[in-house]
Amino acid sequence: MNDPAVVTGMGIVGPFGCGRAPLGRALRESAPRFRRVDRAVHFHRPGSAEKAALVSDFSVSDWIHPLRARRMSNSSRFAVAAARMAIEEAGLAVVEEIDGATGVVISTCYGPTDYSERMLRQIFEEGPQAASPALFTESVANAPAARVALELQAHGPNITVTQKEAGPLIALQRGAREITAGSVQRVLVGAVEEIPPLLHAVLDRFGALCRCRPDEGTEAARPFDRRRNGLIAGEGATVLLLERESDARARGATIRSRVRPLGGAFDPTAPPTGWGRDAAPLAAALDRHLQRAGLQPGDIDRIVSGGSGARLGDRLEALVLNAVWQGRELPPVLAPKAVTGEYGGGILAPAQLAIEGEPFGPTLGFREVDPELNLVPHDGRDLQSPAKVLLTGLAAGGAAHWIALESPEQ
Amino acid sequence: MTVALSQAGDVVISGVGAVSPCGWGATVLWKHLQAGTSKIREPHSFDTSRQRTRLCAEVPRAAPEVSERHVDWRRLSLADRYATAAGREACDQAGLELSGSQAGVFFSSSTAGLREGETYFARSLGYEKAPACLGLVRSHPLNSPGDAVARALGVQGPVESYSSACASGALAIRSAAQHLRAGEVEVAVAGGSDSLCLLTYSGFNSLRAVDASACRPFRADRAGLSIGEGAGVLLLETLEHCRRRGGRPLGLLLGSGGSCDAHHMTAPDENGDGAALAIRSALEDAGVDATAVTFISAHGTGTALNDVSEWKALLQVFGELAGQIPVCATKTLIGHFLGSAGAIEAVATMLCLRAGLVHPVPFDGEVDAHSPVRLVQGRPLPIDRGAIGLSTSFAFGGANAALLMTGWDEDRVA
Repeated sequence: MNDPAVVTGMGIVGPFGCGRAPLGRALRESAPRFRRVDRAVHFHRPGSAEKAALVSDFSVSDWIHPLRARRMSNSSRFAVAAARMAIEEAGLAVVEEIDGATGVVISTCYGPTDYSERMLRQIFEEGPQAASPALFTESVANAPAARVALELQAHGPNITVTQKEAGPLIALQRGAREITAGSVQRVLVGAVEEIPPLLHAVLDRFGALCRCRPDEGTEAARPFDRRRNGLIAGEGATVLLLERESDARARGATIRSRVRPLGGAFDPTAPPTGWGRDAAPLAAALDRHLQRAGLQPGDIDRIVSGGSGARLGDRLEALVLNAVWQGRELPPVLAPKAVTGEYGGGILAPAQLAIEGEPFGPTLGFREVDPELNLVPHDGRDLQSPAKVLLTGLAAGGAAHWIALESPEQ
Repeated sequence: MTVALSQAGDVVISGVGAVSPCGWGATVLWKHLQAGTSKIREPHSFDTSRQRTRLCAEVPRAAPEVSERHVDWRRLSLADRYATAAGREACDQAGLELSGSQAGVFFSSSTAGLREGETYFARSLGYEKAPACLGLVRSHPLNSPGDAVARALGVQGPVESYSSACASGALAIRSAAQHLRAGEVEVAVAGGSDSLCLLTYSGFNSLRAVDASACRPFRADRAGLSIGEGAGVLLLETLEHCRRRGGRPLGLLLGSGGSCDAHHMTAPDENGDGAALAIRSALEDAGVDATAVTFISAHGTGTALNDVSEWKALLQVFGELAGQIPVCATKTLIGHFLGSAGAIEAVATMLCLRAGLVHPVPFDGEVDAHSPVRLVQGRPLPIDRGAIGLSTSFAFGGANAALLMTGWDEDRVA
């Protein structure tokens, strides 16, 4: 890589509030902040999952003028606020320095579903001619990316990735490619999700969400644990500012990580809403991508996994990693989604914190090794700052993507 | 013009697939495009009786020979059906079997299984008296059509889904080209699929963006768009791969570009600056001068603002040539496919290049003096061998994309 893409800024909106400090503290202390999802609208069935990692301590007016914010879905608000934080952290001035040479690549699984739901209610209750144009405008999946561009006057390519759990990594790779291809100078790359009650209830009906275990009396994600029974849905946004390393150095910016694109794969045997069972093809793909990037498994000294507590998702991920490492000891495997929740940028921000050497506490919810998985995630011990972090994203439906972040000291 | 492959990046198009209101397949699509007949009419299976407008361009029911080729056809959403059928057709034409391959799928949708999801929603909340079975929302996520294509074709390479409203299809094709050029895949199935649904039909009506009659892009009396549905797919591969396997390219994807208006959530930049940036970016990517563009497959939605904005973008890029370059407005005939519009129009552009004809639209009123494009009307316009077609896509939210293609001509490739 002659002039790779580097991360020079990060913005976060999440269950812990805004910015890197509260998220870093939550990951260090393995202290999630889950809240009960509103059940007043009766989407949920009796006995269904109750909690999600919902955004809190977020003052939208700190980041967006109220006159503009009132027209935005939560997804758009989260994305715009996170983008502004990323620019601020990168030391760039909005409008003066974010211009036509800036692209936007945002990933979302479900888009602004609250607005879609509200609009459908209007249509069913009052007829299609009662549909609100304001709701429609914000119901589209690309509304957050469009709002980011509009707020920040980013005239480069504007792209919304929708590949479920693999989406944030595809977005990161896509953003890095736009920079290395020379089509833009900077890209705001990120992931965003909102979790309104309807989405939470539907995820629960599909059996995706963790349920309260009688022996523990609480809902918890338990990544890679033998007793795992689903994920915790999480909302929020993470946006990273990417630019060419030479540009970042020229302007004296703090380089926080270097992006090492790897690649993706697909398991055609996976059902539309779940994961496949054969790890070998995905492992071969990861192995191939590492080799193509000039990396060996031994070069990786931290893995930020997509481990979420999903029974088959975690199984597949563990088997893929074990197959690639071929019996050698895995580097420490972090599973931050137990704290952040799934979706909402639940992997990008922790991965960036990991490459910066932030400490992580013991994996939340992990107690019993699953003998089939044979993977013990990070136990909270002190670790040296990593040189290279592997991010893995295995999506329900069959898609998979991998990418690496490298320490700028490398 | 001789195409220099070193500049073009040697991404060839070796198959096309289409599901459209004209029927299932690219052949039937071309037959109707060539004739310039509109398929915008009162729908059979999609209810518009309570809407402000009634017309749309609906895909006819699939013939048994189409549905019987697909496993689990009955469990697929409409958008997934369109996607898989178009994907298979493109592979068949290319003579490629992708099962177990490291090919990639780069796909777009703005609705995916929303139509079926709306039924689930209505039943869940008691607006409709029937069981709300989960199968109705299985295809709701926007990655569903792309995943369905990959699953149907047995692809094992990267699968990426995009949803940037009306620019999605062209952006998915752009992403595929970038992967091919970077050597990450040798074959890519690129396209998009959307189906009619309540939310988008009502939504565009709520914006007063839908014409009560069939849409008339670039006409003085135009009054909005007409919504359509369907899928378009290009089978792309590197020239090296195509030659190695003895394949025969249909054309070259010369270049692509993207940009954003950053102007307004629903209205285009009135000066066309964002659209012009995307076109210039595609020309630069292709290493092609603006004067080399033979015809334009315009985004041409038929809304008052969009068509003028597009004309201003063309003026910026092509200068005084803008009014001389033939323009086809495919949406006049098959409606606006939204998340797959860029894909079906890329297919239409390729079909024009293959046939050496720019497809017409019917004579239907005066061309607007504020967007005086040279609209191809009445009969197809012959174009030279080596012609270059530009396909434009400008979206809700300001996302723009442009693609440049040319037909394959072994004698003229440098």
